[in-house]
Amino acid sequence: MLRAGLSLATRAGGAVGRRLEDAGLWAIDAALSSRLAREAVDRTLESPLAERAVGRALEGPLVDAVARDVARYAVVERLMDRLIEESVLEHAVDRVLTGPELVRIADAVLEQVLDSDELWALVEEVAQSPAVTEAISRQGVSFADQVAVGVRARSHNADAWLERAARRALRRPPSERASP
Amino acid sequence: MSLAAERPASVRVQERAETVQEDVRYEGLVTRAIAFAIDAAVIDIVAIAVAGAVALAVSVLSIPDVVDTVLLAIGGALFVVWSCGYFVTFWSTTGQTPGARVMRLRVVRAGGGRLSAGRALLRVVYLTLAAIPLLLGFAPVLVDERRRGLHDMLAGTVVVEVPEVTPAARRGEPPGVPPS
Repeated sequence: MLRAGLSLATRAGGAVGRRLEDAGLWAIDAALSSRLAREAVDRTLESPLAERAVGRALEGPLVDAVARDVARYAVVERLMDRLIEESVLEHAVDRVLTGPELVRIADAVLEQVLDSDELWALVEEVAQSPAVTEAISRQGVSFADQVAVGVRARSHNADAWLERAARRALRRPPSERASP
Repeated sequence: MSLAAERPASVRVQERAETVQEDVRYEGLVTRAIAFAIDAAVIDIVAIAVAGAVALAVSVLSIPDVVDTVLLAIGGALFVVWSCGYFVTFWSTTGQTPGARVMRLRVVRAGGGRLSAGRALLRVVYLTLAAIPLLLGFAPVLVDERRRGLHDMLAGTVVVEVPEVTPAARRGEPPGVPPS
């Protein structure tokens, strides 16, 4: 009897507790969706307090902890896999490549780079570097070598032809030793 | 007494030289003519540059005609000395003039070895003599087994091909070693 009474009381208590939880959650939902809550959030985010909070968070160990977790749980890899699976990345790349933004950005970058004195200083430095001058001179020597090889081959043929003709004219047997 | 000992020493030396040089390739008339043309160009360009500089210097001075004539004679003599010195120097040192280097040929003694300065000078003289009868002194190059001209025969020289030195050989690697 006592046990049955306790069980009934426990069940009744549980039901009341669930009702109270539901009521609490409903109250929270109502508060969050209220104009007052939106206004409070907007004001908080517009206040210097939000900047300060973000600044402090970035200053502190939070970033390191996030980075560690991102690496530990392979967040970037999973994200990339998903983006590739969904062809999001492909579309994004297509859009960038076919859109006018890329040309505009490239033009702007090129213009800035060409206008910079540092670039021309660098070009001059590279052009005068021993490696480059050596490569250019080696290229020149290699070209001259190629020409010389061609001339030698033709002159050897001419030698052989001339000697054959001379030997024929003098009715001598062809030379086996001197001919190339 | 052996048969070898009955032959004169000079003949034996000649035979030995020919045995040793069996794999040597002698250069023909056209190849040698091209090398000579390159040398002639070098000699003439230097001579013209020097003569031009001297003529410019002399032109601003009022020099009597007699002195002009003497200067011309001195210039002519210097040209002969310069031309002879060019060949003698190169033949007696490396055996290769710049033209010969381009065409990969070398002037050596018939028995092998470098020319002495005296022999090189004699070769220059014989070369001139060979050119006098309408270049007929060079005709033996076409029919001689060792491709010798009259000047070669008289000076005891031959013109041989300089084998090409591969980059691997230049590094001292044995043949057949693949490049790293």
